[in-house]
Amino acid sequence: MKEKLLEITSLSKHFGGNAAVSNVSFDVEEEMILGLIGPNGSGKTTLFNCITGYYPLSSGSVRFIGRDITGMKPDKACRLGMVRTWQRVKPLGSLSVLENVMIGAFAKTRSPVRSRNIALERLEMLGMGGLGPKAAGKLPIGLKKKLELARALATGPKLLLLDEICGGLNYSETQELLETIRGIRENGTAIVFIEHDMKAVTGLCDRIVVLKSGEKLAEGLPSEITSNPAVIAAYLGAGYGHA
Amino acid sequence: MTRTLAAIALFTAAAAVLPLFLGDNPYVADIIITMLMMASLASAWNIVGGYAGQFSFGHAAYFGAGAYTTSILLTTGNPGIPLCVAAGVAVSCVIALLTGAIVFRLRGHYFALASIAVAEIVRLTALNLDITGGAQGILVTDVSFGALDMNSKNPFYYAMLFLLVFTLCLSAWLRRTRAGFYLLAIREDQDAAASLGINLYLWKNMALLLSAALASVAGSIYAVYIRFIDTSAVLSLRLSIEIILTTIIGGIGTLWGPVLGATLLVSLAEALRSNMIGAFLVNAGAVSEGSAIGKFLNNNLAHAHVLVYGIITVLCILNLPKGILGMFRRKGSA
Repeated sequence: MKEKLLEITSLSKHFGGNAAVSNVSFDVEEEMILGLIGPNGSGKTTLFNCITGYYPLSSGSVRFIGRDITGMKPDKACRLGMVRTWQRVKPLGSLSVLENVMIGAFAKTRSPVRSRNIALERLEMLGMGGLGPKAAGKLPIGLKKKLELARALATGPKLLLLDEICGGLNYSETQELLETIRGIRENGTAIVFIEHDMKAVTGLCDRIVVLKSGEKLAEGLPSEITSNPAVIAAYLGAGYGHA
Repeated sequence: MTRTLAAIALFTAAAAVLPLFLGDNPYVADIIITMLMMASLASAWNIVGGYAGQFSFGHAAYFGAGAYTTSILLTTGNPGIPLCVAAGVAVSCVIALLTGAIVFRLRGHYFALASIAVAEIVRLTALNLDITGGAQGILVTDVSFGALDMNSKNPFYYAMLFLLVFTLCLSAWLRRTRAGFYLLAIREDQDAAASLGINLYLWKNMALLLSAALASVAGSIYAVYIRFIDTSAVLSLRLSIEIILTTIIGGIGTLWGPVLGATLLVSLAEALRSNMIGAFLVNAGAVSEGSAIGKFLNNNLAHAHVLVYGIITVLCILNLPKGILGMFRRKGSA
């Protein structure tokens, strides 16, 4: 049995009377890739914002590496080893690609030389080796997504939360990125992976959590999820569930 | 880095020998001291406004705190100028912390608004206390410091130059350290910065403290140089705004932008104030002195420098968002 890295217990988030996430619990173990799927508006990104400290929780708790991090600020969570990427990419636009990744690497080292080396290594790993001097704001969307990943990786995370990292990428780019993510896990980083394209996640994930309207609809192995009638109904409409 | 250091060294050397060529011309020396002062203030502002992207509209408070603290100490027994400068820095840092520690908990425009409010509080306090001389201000008679000839312009010229070069070196160094990268990250995107482990609150406060301390030193030197201060000279909102305009017009977030901005704007202000431009137009025959335009120029242009700043700023923001320095640089290279 592997150690639990992230434990989410009855997490709820209300915006006024609107329950964006209600009573969701799941765990992430070390070196696991967990897929978080669900239709648009099912609360995936809200859940990320709650876990990483961008939103205060309405109720529930988040534990990370055995510590209660409920309500902890995002920067502190990052320094503990939990880092996220953004669905709507947030490049540090007027800085260069290399500088963007260096800023991530500074979470691990004060030395500009060492952070530069880490950054170059991460860029190389993602096949962005030649892009270092380019302005981050001028990259096409596919590369901005990869930059998000490179920057997050440079912080040396134990847990990586990827918010639709494949959105906007074409088929071959997606396959390539999924391969990279597999490699990241093999280096010992656990991953929570938001995606609403089920096909992209079933091949990659060890476990899948399905959200619908803010509630946990199902959790299990990819094979269990793809054959779960409730999940099929949520995605394809009720008629298919009984077919 | 070596190129930047070489440029700073070259600038320092050129500025250091400049007084030898000026001869004994106190008018020109005064203008250059003012340029060095505005360049130092704008460079100091640039750390918090240009690098960290937190717009302070109240930097006169730090300048004024340095000037007032120094003047008060000098009139109550002159404990030595270095101590006066240090005390000014301490007072400025307290004011900066009072603002930053509270307002940097929030994001958005709160800091800009609060910085105006705090600067006004400082100004009104100085205007109403006895220790600050109220509306009369403070006249300093004893500014003696060792064997230096304090009636000469030279000590002040070199003091301001030292402050400017120190601020430039500090900015250039910052830009290459983790702290500097963090400030830029905060300017670019606060959510992204936080997600990468950057404590927004801590680093914004650091930037403000550093900036306030440097502005305070400029105020101290100014107070010893001018020997008379009042609230309208050292604590006015106009001064705060001139510091910002100098930076924006020169090139915000760049190392040399504040220096360029100060050189241009101080020259321009002086040309307008002494009505050099009006006289030039009349002498060149462009307008006759007796005409309506000639009279208007003679009577009004001297007071128009803030208006002209405003027009230049609008033109800069519309056409040169990276300032005049940005014109010469490719986009993307900060």
